[in-house]
Amino acid sequence: MIDLRRLKPAKKMWTLLVLSILVLFLFLLDLFIGSVKIPVFETLKILAGGNSSHTEWEVIIFSFRIPRALTALLAGMALSVSGLQMQTVFRNPLAGPYVLGISSGASLGVAILVLGFSSFLFKASSNMIGDWTLVLAASFGSALILLLIFAVSVRIKDIMTILILGILFGSIASAMVGVMQFFSNESLLKSFVVWSMGSLGNITKDQIHVLSIVILIGLLISFGSVKILNALLLGEDYAKTLGINIKTARAIVFLSTSILAGSVTAFCGPIGFVGIVVPHLGRMLLRTSNHGFLMPGSVLIGSGLMLISDMISQLPGSEKILPINSITALLGIPIIIWIIIKRKRITQ
Amino acid sequence: MSDTNKFILTTRDLEIGFLKPPGKPNISLMKGISVKARKGELVAMIGQNGIGKSTLLRTLVQLHPALSGNVILNNKNIEKYTRQELARQLGFVSTEIINAGNLSVYDLVALGRFPYTNWLGNINNEDRFMIDHSIELVDLAHKRDKMLTEISDGERQRAMIARTLSQDTDLLILDEPTAFLDLPNRYEVLKLLRDLSCKGKTIIFSTHDLNLVIDQVDKIWMMTEGGMIEGAPEDLILSDSFNSVFPGSSLIFNKESGRFDYPADRLHEVYIEGEGELKAWTAKAMERKGYLPIEKGGNAEISVKVYMDNGQAYWELKTKNAISVYKSIYELMFSL
Repeated sequence: MIDLRRLKPAKKMWTLLVLSILVLFLFLLDLFIGSVKIPVFETLKILAGGNSSHTEWEVIIFSFRIPRALTALLAGMALSVSGLQMQTVFRNPLAGPYVLGISSGASLGVAILVLGFSSFLFKASSNMIGDWTLVLAASFGSALILLLIFAVSVRIKDIMTILILGILFGSIASAMVGVMQFFSNESLLKSFVVWSMGSLGNITKDQIHVLSIVILIGLLISFGSVKILNALLLGEDYAKTLGINIKTARAIVFLSTSILAGSVTAFCGPIGFVGIVVPHLGRMLLRTSNHGFLMPGSVLIGSGLMLISDMISQLPGSEKILPINSITALLGIPIIIWIIIKRKRITQ
Repeated sequence: MSDTNKFILTTRDLEIGFLKPPGKPNISLMKGISVKARKGELVAMIGQNGIGKSTLLRTLVQLHPALSGNVILNNKNIEKYTRQELARQLGFVSTEIINAGNLSVYDLVALGRFPYTNWLGNINNEDRFMIDHSIELVDLAHKRDKMLTEISDGERQRAMIARTLSQDTDLLILDEPTAFLDLPNRYEVLKLLRDLSCKGKTIIFSTHDLNLVIDQVDKIWMMTEGGMIEGAPEDLILSDSFNSVFPGSSLIFNKESGRFDYPADRLHEVYIEGEGELKAWTAKAMERKGYLPIEKGGNAEISVKVYMDNGQAYWELKTKNAISVYKSIYELMFSL
């Protein structure tokens, strides 16, 4: 007789495997697309380790396209996992780093660093700010907003109220950034505005190392919190009676979410809607709320979605590049609207 | 064995309520609660809305702090347990409706194994056995892979109970497990609790279905404005205690039927002549209308004679002035 119990997880494992292959394929595909036209065959040759007739093409692929695709991969993972954690902890299907203002918090952190410190203290360009400092500033900014939302959610349980407060906190952070922009010098302002439009392509090879390490740490903490997140599905009361220490649980999620959302925002600017949408796609595809499956599922779907967004933003065939957060918004918002309409009783 | 060893849960002079920040007075709901539950007992807690049933239950499972007094679980003050230790000793089902999407019955029940799994939450064969066994105990084996959104309210409540069963605790505490359920499902859940207590679980639950539980439970904890009264349901009946459950209500506990009745004003007497079911149900309908059926026909102001003729039932109503005949109780009632 077929053991249903064993068959079902196996099916989910297959889904995850197929997703992994898909992400790998998208990653490779992303390397073929860019504003400089490189023939497919040449790209293949360069990737295979061969010498190209144009040495600049090698540079473009190794120094620009691979870091960009890696960044898309990492950003997708990080934003999706932090979205998944927030949705479970706040028991809110519309929670995510962007909507709850966590990304705006990160922007504030970066703005204080880039516009504030550099213009008044160092009189230096933003390029001279260390990568680690940038991550730290963004993560502190995220943590600040997240802390506010945690504090509020202890008293207020209503899903929509918390969302609105998150949006308000985010707006305050954005307003403060706006004020700082007003007082900063032109060159810094320009680099900040470019940053705030979101980009996967401005990241250097060195920054990739920093981003990879930080996101790896964040993901490790998240994967370690799978059991806690599963218990929190039933709400905090039930989690307590199952033996969970709520304060520890919140601290773990708080830490990993701040690191993940903060570091991505530090290097790529605020990227919206990936964090909300991907966990839902994961639940629909895997038909489960077990974080043991949802966590890897979100990692894969998130990186896949970011790679697709990146390819679209490159506008294949043209030399122009669209801001990445416009693409994620255009892809993500219809899905969110669909989720809201499908789940009419979302506020319950 | 000393006397206290037999009790799995006792409260000593417990005061429940809401703790306020320093400087503001605490809100006390009830003081001096001293109740006991033996191993394997099914205990129903009753009391009117707002008297603190949920607060007491939440205090018993440490989701709510006690204002004063103690809760003793297995001879140890409950505050001395860590959350993990407590999770292996008592299971809790609240009134909260779980709305997690894409959560299957199996996954829900699997969460009960939480206190026994490692930090990754890996489930081994022993856990799987417990999960399946718990699902079978609540008779949901055919729904084990269904999502919580796809099953009925009664089934969801049974699944929540199965979750506490897989948690493998000696004590179960449930807050209004029969609320929001239709009558058959209430019976199902109650019978399930009865069966589980026969298997050795101690079960404490709050309910408003006194009529339903009165002949099923071992003990009743009755929260009244005067304090907590405990005892076998029969003890409470004989001591007329039930009439103090709902102060200010005109509900009267009928000692003979073991039910709460709503007393209509019985001004008139009626004599009902007839046999079997026809007579019994006619009497019932007349009672609802405020008439008191009496045995002797002589003094009654009105009398009803119910009889069968050619397979059709007839009700002959005789008053001082007139005699009329009806073909249904509804018509008879309408003419009164």
